[in-house]
Amino acid sequence: MSRVFDTNLPFPTLARTALADAQLRANLKHATTTIREKRLRVVGELDDWEELRSAGAAIKDFALGHLDELCVEFERNVQARGGVVHWARDAAEANAIVVGLVQATGVDSVVKVKSMATAEIELNTALESHGIIAYETDLAELIVQLGDDLPSHILVPAIHKNRAQIRRIFLDEMGKSGLAAPADLSDDPAALAGAARAHLRQRFLSAKVAISGANFLVADTGAVVVVESEGNGRMCLTLPETLISVVGVEKILPDWRSLEVFLQLLPRSATGERMNPYTSIFTGATPGNGPSNFHVVLIDNGRSSALAEESGRDVLRCIRCSACLNVCPVYERTGGHSYGNPYPGPIGAVLVPQLRRGVRTQLEDSLPYASSLCGACYVACPVKIDIPKILVRLRSEVVDEKRREHPRDPELVAMKMVEKGFSSARVMRRLVAAGQVLGRLRVRRLRYLPPPLSRWSATRDAPLPPATSFRAWFAQTHPDANVDLPLPRDFSSSLVHDHGAIHDATPGHVGRDVPGRDGVLSSLASALAAHPSPPPPPRAFRLTGSRDARERRQLLRERLVDYRANVVECDPASLAATIASLLAAHHSTSVAVPTDVPDEWLREVSVRVHRDDGPLATAELDAIDSTLTGCAVAVAETGTIVLDSGERQGRRVLSLVPDHLIVVIDDAQIVEVVPEAVARLTPDSSQTWISGPSATSDIELERVEGVHGPRRLDVILVAASR
Amino acid sequence: MKVALFITCVNDGLFPNTPRAVVDVLERLGHEVVFPTQQTCCGQMHLNAGYREEGLHLAQRFRDVFNDYDVIVSPSASCVGTVRDLYATSAKSLGDATLAEDLDEVGRRTYEFSEFLNDVLKVTDVGAVFPHRVAYHPTCHSLRVLGLDEAPRTLLRHVEGLDLVPFVQPDSCCGFGGMFSIKNADTSSAMGSDKLAAVRASGAEVLCALDNSCLTHIGGLASRARSPLRLMHLAEILASRDGSGRV
Repeated sequence: MSRVFDTNLPFPTLARTALADAQLRANLKHATTTIREKRLRVVGELDDWEELRSAGAAIKDFALGHLDELCVEFERNVQARGGVVHWARDAAEANAIVVGLVQATGVDSVVKVKSMATAEIELNTALESHGIIAYETDLAELIVQLGDDLPSHILVPAIHKNRAQIRRIFLDEMGKSGLAAPADLSDDPAALAGAARAHLRQRFLSAKVAISGANFLVADTGAVVVVESEGNGRMCLTLPETLISVVGVEKILPDWRSLEVFLQLLPRSATGERMNPYTSIFTGATPGNGPSNFHVVLIDNGRSSALAEESGRDVLRCIRCSACLNVCPVYERTGGHSYGNPYPGPIGAVLVPQLRRGVRTQLEDSLPYASSLCGACYVACPVKIDIPKILVRLRSEVVDEKRREHPRDPELVAMKMVEKGFSSARVMRRLVAAGQVLGRLRVRRLRYLPPPLSRWSATRDAPLPPATSFRAWFAQTHPDANVDLPLPRDFSSSLVHDHGAIHDATPGHVGRDVPGRDGVLSSLASALAAHPSPPPPPRAFRLTGSRDARERRQLLRERLVDYRANVVECDPASLAATIASLLAAHHSTSVAVPTDVPDEWLREVSVRVHRDDGPLATAELDAIDSTLTGCAVAVAETGTIVLDSGERQGRRVLSLVPDHLIVVIDDAQIVEVVPEAVARLTPDSSQTWISGPSATSDIELERVEGVHGPRRLDVILVAASR
Repeated sequence: MKVALFITCVNDGLFPNTPRAVVDVLERLGHEVVFPTQQTCCGQMHLNAGYREEGLHLAQRFRDVFNDYDVIVSPSASCVGTVRDLYATSAKSLGDATLAEDLDEVGRRTYEFSEFLNDVLKVTDVGAVFPHRVAYHPTCHSLRVLGLDEAPRTLLRHVEGLDLVPFVQPDSCCGFGGMFSIKNADTSSAMGSDKLAAVRASGAEVLCALDNSCLTHIGGLASRARSPLRLMHLAEILASRDGSGRV
């Protein structure tokens, strides 16, 4: 059985185990330090980063403020493109829907793209209990699954393992469930990625059903957007007959154009890259071009209750980038397992208690306190979630619960007493005077304090009060500057206790008799009823670039090379020769091309050319060395090539299966910035955004090339004739 | 200028030299300092720990104590952050918009000491002498809540003889975090030990910050480790005339 979090232990207890593990702390420190530096570098490159953050927050606010309508719009657009939307109020409903869909296909195994939503609902366990094996295909998830471990990071679930540990797991475990790792496997990240490629290859090529999550759902096109690195996402969204995407309702964006912001915010915040290697934008079933059965399971599972509260709504903006984990000093020491659930780190500490409203275990109650409130997370958050404020808010909910249920709780009683003491300057003066008795002792530091302060003195000395307090000194030295103003004794009567304003807004739980769709929609509508509609988001970020055609080409070249693509420039007359020489340089014996690639391009090619007229079967493509395509648009600033199955690009599978991809780009296709590309592309086309060869950052958060997609990317930039 | 001192409860009882240094510097610069004796605690600990009602009682008390002053100055970035930032948010989260506005107003009159010197008095050189190697730790509240980084560094750079030494990851949290230091003592200590190690590696003799609470935590670890590192609030360095740092 796949392991799930089943702890009810509080954070400090779980953290103690992690803190005692020196190897774990070293792994985490190394990985988080690496990613922090990368993120700062790529964020620093953009002058409009703050404007993008504001826009990201505003778009999410807008989407959340219209979530019920947008869900319905999304459903309509998915249906119009041959897909089916299912609705689940909770984890049990979602799992039952997915199990039913898989059973209907008759298979007993599925391939999976990493997904937080499916981890949240513990889908793998549900599938297993119905005899269905879910194979994780993301490298880090594969490491976790093979090692019978638990995920510890949103983006890189195996961040707690270093390369040597990963090598051991591959050697010991891969052979038990498929192709074994080579006996001479080294701990070089590229070799480890290569072992994962070989282990999963046949599984991808023969899979009938894939299960994914989604980074975004686009309401006005019905698109499912999967942002990834390795190509396992593309495999799952391209090769199987059936695709089931399980997604939280809060992932909906209002429109296609919103991606101009999020495709900038997410990769830079997540892996510290200008753009991740692959983004798939899948807009429904197109015959012969990807899955023909397409299902989206929209899950509520606590989101509508979070939506009803201001702080809950802020948290639902989260795009699961992990920037807050990577900058968090607490996460860096304790790791993800200390948070006791699949959502760790600062975002987990605010998300989990809100998704599980009404659940009060030691774990939920301890999470809001698992922070020093240092605020690094808020600074890093690409959608400006003020996590420290929300933590404080959630702490007050824990305390309010204590007031109701355990009025004699020692901490509560002590804190009330302290407040009473501080409510009188006279009492405080006496306390300070009492402390000064200690100050006359002939020691400088206290080594032992009584419980609960003993938790302080276990590792830290405590200071002793000096013989004279400030106020005593000041009274003596500045007798005329002491202002003694009488104050009312009690302020409690002046405080408006308006708990109703918060609690009335929490929606009632929808009854079991209401079917999923109506249940989810009515919960969302009632959560939104009490809130004003948010305004349309601003677009104060850069919408266009400032470079001319030649400068754009140069920038694109530079950025592609940064991601280890091989770039050559030529003029139209020498294109055919350039193509031939690149095939020769790769020792290709065969090349696949879309049906409409011009003969002119192939004039000098001497290897075997397979036009996709048949069309080519996946197994045939797997035996072909190279693919040659054109492109729809290229983004210079991020080194990105977009394919949309338009002219000279062919089916999505062509650019995925052969190990070597050659893309021809001419000057007119190059734009400078992401918003220009979004403006140019057809909103409802299925697209693949490619930024360099297949790569992964899953081993110690270092980018290495070569996992499931083409390991070599050649780009030909055709300069307009001078 | 007439300045009302908000010394904070921690400084009153445990670190009186810090507010004494504030008095010293402000008087040296020719300003009038008054001390409203009814002041106690701003309520930071209560508000941060989720004791919203208790904290807001203390907040209202703070407002009344300092009702009559245009300028309130405090040698604690976290207490000023509480007054300026957390008061209104807490009142709002309790549904009391009027109180929130009221508390917001007092926040606008409250300044952290180095911020007051830099932003209001526009002073960079206070005539201090302190010939030592000093590391400056930007505490989380000073850096991320009040946005103070350059002001305290500028003041330190103008101290005669002072050598401001850099250390790695200066802006990462020391792990104090108020109740966090008790509730999550192990994690807190792990963070503090790393901070201490970074400062020690810099060769600094003195670690300086805008909050004695953070310094108590790092200092407690230093003292347990028998480290000779000296912990000093910025105000005490600025008050130093003879290089000793004694007020």
